Amino acid sequence: MANIIINVSKYIILILMVLYTVSCLAVFREEDERARDGRLNKQIVYVFLMHFLCYLTLALSNPDSMKEIVLFYGVQIFVATIYMYLYHFIYPDSSRLITNNMSFLLLIGYTMLTRLDFDLAKKQFVIATASLVLVSVIPWIMDRYKNMRNYGIAYGILGIAALSSVFVIGVEQYGSRNWIRFFGITIQPSELVKILFVFFIASMLSKGRNLRQVAVTTLFAGVHMAVLVLEKDLGGALIFFVIFIFMIYVGTGKIRYLIVYIAGGFAMAGLAFVLFKDRLFDHVMVRVNVWKDPWADISGDGYQITQSLFAIGSGGYFGSGLTKGSPQVIPVSESDFIFSAISEEFGVLFALALILVCFSCFICFISIAMKVRNRFYKTMAFGFAICYLFQTFLSIGGVTKFIPSTGVTIPLVSYGGSSVLSSLVMFSIMQGISTIENKEARKIEEERQNIEESAVKEKKR
Amino acid sequence: MKKNDKTLKKAPSKKRKGKEPDYAGLTPDQQAFLEREDKIDKINEKLNQPILGITYLCAFLIIGLMAYIVHFMVTEKDQVIANAANSRLDKYAAEVIRGEIVTSDGKTVAENDGEKRYYPYDNLFAHVVGYSEYTKAGIELVGNYYLSESHANIIERFINTLREEKNEGDTVVSTLNYKMQRTAYDALGGADGAVVVMEPDTGKILAMVSKPDFNPNDIDEVWKEANDEENDSSVLLNRATQGLYPPGSTFKVLTTLSFMRQKPLKYKKYHYDCASEEEIFNGVSVHCYGRHVHGEEDLSEALSNSCNQAFADIGVQLNVDKWRDTLESFLFNKSLPYMDASAESKFYLDGKSDKGYIPQTAFGQGDTLITPLHNAMIMSTIANGGLMMKPYFIDSIENYKGTRIKKFSPDSYDTLMTAEEVDTIIPYLRKVVTEGTAADYFAGASYEAAGKTGTAEYANGDHDYSWFVGFNDVDNPEVVVSVLVEESDVNGVKAAAVARSLFDQYDHLKD
Repeated sequence: MANIIINVSKYIILILMVLYTVSCLAVFREEDERARDGRLNKQIVYVFLMHFLCYLTLALSNPDSMKEIVLFYGVQIFVATIYMYLYHFIYPDSSRLITNNMSFLLLIGYTMLTRLDFDLAKKQFVIATASLVLVSVIPWIMDRYKNMRNYGIAYGILGIAALSSVFVIGVEQYGSRNWIRFFGITIQPSELVKILFVFFIASMLSKGRNLRQVAVTTLFAGVHMAVLVLEKDLGGALIFFVIFIFMIYVGTGKIRYLIVYIAGGFAMAGLAFVLFKDRLFDHVMVRVNVWKDPWADISGDGYQITQSLFAIGSGGYFGSGLTKGSPQVIPVSESDFIFSAISEEFGVLFALALILVCFSCFICFISIAMKVRNRFYKTMAFGFAICYLFQTFLSIGGVTKFIPSTGVTIPLVSYGGSSVLSSLVMFSIMQGISTIENKEARKIEEERQNIEESAVKEKKR
Repeated sequence: MKKNDKTLKKAPSKKRKGKEPDYAGLTPDQQAFLEREDKIDKINEKLNQPILGITYLCAFLIIGLMAYIVHFMVTEKDQVIANAANSRLDKYAAEVIRGEIVTSDGKTVAENDGEKRYYPYDNLFAHVVGYSEYTKAGIELVGNYYLSESHANIIERFINTLREEKNEGDTVVSTLNYKMQRTAYDALGGADGAVVVMEPDTGKILAMVSKPDFNPNDIDEVWKEANDEENDSSVLLNRATQGLYPPGSTFKVLTTLSFMRQKPLKYKKYHYDCASEEEIFNGVSVHCYGRHVHGEEDLSEALSNSCNQAFADIGVQLNVDKWRDTLESFLFNKSLPYMDASAESKFYLDGKSDKGYIPQTAFGQGDTLITPLHNAMIMSTIANGGLMMKPYFIDSIENYKGTRIKKFSPDSYDTLMTAEEVDTIIPYLRKVVTEGTAADYFAGASYEAAGKTGTAEYANGDHDYSWFVGFNDVDNPEVVVSVLVEESDVNGVKAAAVARSLFDQYDHLKD
């Protein structure tokens, strides 16, 4: 009996995922507000059904810890329900698609983590839930303190200081010295500095867009990246660089900056390569070579990526079914390689849909950026959109061998406290901008309506 | 996705569509408000232009990523997951009754006897079919993925899955031919060595024998013995694909080709007077096999007589770097495009090497090493008009009821010789069989075989390796053999004689 349920669930989950993905993308086309709400409500149903079937499968295949799993499921549903309804109640102007997607991504992450390592799942849940409470004040703060744009240089200095802290109190993990530890917690400063960095650029460019201002911004941004390169966190440096060049382009509207910076970026990378070839680029070269031909050293350097490809390929289009694959043999499958684990057990079709869900988050961020008329918020919203999409792209592209692996996590899905916290902060800031924008738009619309009415009255008279 | 972007673009202006500024009857304050708002909207739209551009760029990136994943699933997936390093195969295997392995002429060479794997022909297919226990080897290893997959009727499988019963695994149909394998095995007799029989135009392996051999039904004992450190047993080693041997005079074929390429005018008029038993080249003394004196020879006679002195003379005229390039294009110092484990053949000389090594190397002694499979591939390239095919031994996959699931097609590696080179060299190889060193073995044959013999001395010249590589018919080359016999001076088995019986058997099969 259990076997039948597990096997049938696999296909129902896929169908629900397709429905969810379609609604994620279709919601942008819906102009009628009520129809949009209807879609968003249905999304919640899809997510809960999927989540239910996943945990049913997990509980049935782990009879020993069934009680604990059911309990964990209950707690998750409790938090998610409260969150999805309460958040919208407190912030009626927030984007519901963002709340839904956030919940979906977190829940799919918990599911996969429960399957891979129950203790990690619980830890992730505690961190994420605490973070959710913490970050829920962000939209309120943003709405209240509108002078955030005035601290440009301060954000820059703070960011550089936080990044540099690893030189003093840093510890090494996964070949990069970019973690710090205090009170027994290891955090990766670059995850949080990313947010300060977006604030910094948005703030600088909202103050002025002349050459001098751009030059100062570039100088600070350059120091950020240099520190990251010295920490050997080249993936991080790449993300900062991409955020920087696209924000400069959007903030100034001048494509020549984009061209100059891309050329400059290549030149700097080339120069650094020549100067520090052995010291800094050893593990980059290893990764590039592994990317070119992972099969040359399956048991050594190519181990991670070949295991990842075995997982994705073996799962096939429909997946092995939750608990039926072997994703635990992929190293760091709970974090950097969670996409491969999901792909193996839920199937490539599900994984492709997941990419589209992430893309719909990005589109949602972009649509907020386009609607908001304040330059500071606009540039910032765009910066977060790019940051989110690029990080997702690096992570998924890396584990599928589309691009060389950079060891980046998928926001909200992968295990990792710093990553989850920074992603939630980012999503909350977007909600803040959305709230501010919607409020503003409503005010203007009301004013217009008043004017219109008075004009009509005037004409009648 | 495009549509999304379009709606986004329109969004800000849509609300007030059709409302042209009409400030009549408004207070100046209201007018100023409306004007300001319209101006901000206009600026906003301008600010959104770059955002829109980058959004398209990102959409393109994501579409690229998804397309790549689909591409991976469609074209690479099967090959990737069939890799022996994929630990999931064992998991599949646990849910499937391992499939059978059959030859192209319908003999079952691996099946199940209860829980145990059973090999009906004992030692006959030992190395090429391999074994499914321990590290696995041969077809059991390479075809493991297919053997542990089931393409039985989908309803049957679904019911089995629900009942938690095992499904019937798929059958691997190999390219091997039972009769050719039997002939090769018997012809080699008690001698150690290796035989590879392949089709030059497809790369299909018809037979592959390596001796000493073992009985895969007794793999437990064989494995224990082979891994016993005290006892230096190499019985599990497939000498056909992993045994590295000096190529001996068979190497002269590629020396001839290099000479033709480097001296396109000179080679046609080449002649050498093999007048004395010994001659000095680059300070090294060279004598022919059995201290023969061959007299006046052109290039074809030098090859058919297998004259070491003539080839030493050719060797010293060669540019060593270019020579190495030719050899490396023929996969020396490279891994072979072969589905199973294989050793890399070695050619050590380059422009900087001591000139004293050149004469020896040119006629196949020296440090050069080659596998019998590689030698078969080189001869196949000649027989196939210059195009090297990738050798393979799995022809197709069938479900347990015999319905074909998948067919493997011949795959070419590269064109390594021009038609002109092939047309020049084939008559030389024919001459080896009609008048040269192999003439005695092929007397009275009903087909026009061609090839090259070789004798390589080892153990300080105490023992001989005997080589023959060739194909069955100069007009219609259908089958290539590569035979190596160890200690042929002791056991008396000559490689060319093994080749003769294989060609005869092949001829016989055609009738």
